[in-house]
Amino acid sequence: MRLSGLAIRHFRNLGSQELELPSEGVALIGDNAQGKSNFLEAIYYLETLRSFRGARDQELISFEEGVFRVAGTMQPTDASVRSEVVAAAFERRGKRKKVTVDGAEPVRMGDALGHLAAVVFSPADIDLVSGGPSERRRFIDIVLSLNQPGYMSALQGYRKVLVRRNASLKTGQPGAVVQAWDKGLVTAGAVVMGARRDWVQGRGGAFGDYYRRVSNGEGARMAYRPNVSLEGATSGEDICAAFQEALSASSERERRMGTTVVGPHRDDILLRLEDADDELDLRTYGSGGQRRTAALALRLVEAQTIRDTRSQRPLILLDDVFAELDEGRSERVLELMEAEETGQVVLTAPKEADVRLRRDSLPRWRIESGKIST
Amino acid sequence: MSVIDTLTGEFARLPGVGPKTALRLVHHLMKGKKDDTRRLARAMVELADRVRSCDVCGNFSEDALCEICSNPRRDQGILCVVEEAYEVGAIERTGQFRGLFHVLGGRLSPLDGIGPDELHMDSLLARIRDVEGRVREVIVATNSSVEGEATAVYLEQEIRPLGPTVTRLARGIPVGSDLEYVDGTTIAQALAGRREM
Ligand SMILES: [Zn+2]
Repeated sequence: MRLSGLAIRHFRNLGSQELELPSEGVALIGDNAQGKSNFLEAIYYLETLRSFRGARDQELISFEEGVFRVAGTMQPTDASVRSEVVAAAFERRGKRKKVTVDGAEPVRMGDALGHLAAVVFSPADIDLVSGGPSERRRFIDIVLSLNQPGYMSALQGYRKVLVRRNASLKTGQPGAVVQAWDKGLVTAGAVVMGARRDWVQGRGGAFGDYYRRVSNGEGARMAYRPNVSLEGATSGEDICAAFQEALSASSERERRMGTTVVGPHRDDILLRLEDADDELDLRTYGSGGQRRTAALALRLVEAQTIRDTRSQRPLILLDDVFAELDEGRSERVLELMEAEETGQVVLTAPKEADVRLRRDSLPRWRIESGKIST
Repeated sequence: MSVIDTLTGEFARLPGVGPKTALRLVHHLMKGKKDDTRRLARAMVELADRVRSCDVCGNFSEDALCEICSNPRRDQGILCVVEEAYEVGAIERTGQFRGLFHVLGGRLSPLDGIGPDELHMDSLLARIRDVEGRVREVIVATNSSVEGEATAVYLEQEIRPLGPTVTRLARGIPVGSDLEYVDGTTIAQALAGRREM
């Protein structure tokens, strides 16, 4: 599958443009604040139906316009299979989002997710390593929502029960009323924890491998740090039991705090440097370069997950990522990507010279004040 | 404000009726027979004046006791707990249930400030206690939404120590849907396949 066409209307400063994308991808060159990231944001909107930069949908609508729309044509590698059009629009006034796949609205919004099979690499990714646990939870939640059937509905169910349970605690409802939410919380939460654990364990080797290759020899590890200890818990039922036990044990504390104090909403993923005999938390002890490398490795693992679970070569979106990396690391990342059989690559850079890649074959487009010239 | 505007405004307040539909309804009434409109109005007045809640179960009723509670042939040993009174009709239409009902008047919904005290839970527990041992089974037919499930868990905790078996409708009813909008066959199957909680 590759992105062969993109129609943009009133998205940020990009105005209205229809573009045909070359099969190998494209390098978009332009000065800062001309709209390079907006272009990648528009493309990736079709993957997750939200902004990868954390912007609200209203903010994506061009100034003084009422509706934005992005439509992408996906061309299967197998030419005999029909192409697919995914479109997303948002209306400012009704705050209404409309998503269609080949013209039809899917039964659930979730069915429209992940059609692009894309990964974005952005300078802000360093927050995945430097930021708090919520950054890493958001990362794994997006990866699993897009790649693991059932994960998203479990996560949504968990959040739904959690806010209601917390409201019961906050208003000082009797213990029996609070406990009435436990079963729902535990059932959904166990699915979330089990999937997170399996993913981190299953991909830990790849993370270390990518890290080593980008850093040229240095080692790093990733480990799931569940808020509820899962030691000895293997089956889903074990996880349920462990979670329920932790909930019951914390009933006094949660009553005092007025909120649920244990559960996957407090999980973390530890990223550690493998030193000679010590393991150092990258978040606290990593240098800028080491953190960026770990963030890149996480994105590479995300791409690998797409490749394995969806049997598709992922579309790689690189948002000016090499600006902050030294030459050696940049080179090695690019080598890795080529070796890993990625699909199309869409990258942005401020200057032609920054596309110092072997990707000399990549067609060049330019962008100025949102207007793209091909 | 004109009569037409007033009536249009009243219609527009009904669920699922927008201003356009409201106006269309008013036009329809104006074009139709005056007697039909009068009959509609009388029915609405009677609804307001005569329909109330059953003192025992909370079902719609024209008397202190509803038709179900006052029917001696109903099985007094089984209670079916529903969230809203209009769901009684959905279960009655299956013709498969011969016991009595209890209407909660909602479900646990902490985000809306609704706890057990805001629902008819005390009266349910009192009903079970008062007839000491006569209620064998309580079927909890709250929705399968997260709130309906929590309500079911809460009821089970409270009822079981009083003696009756507590059962839950079998799966098959779509998550979050009111029984009112589920077809009769599905409800009958869920009823037949109910399981102890
Ligand atoms: Zn009654």
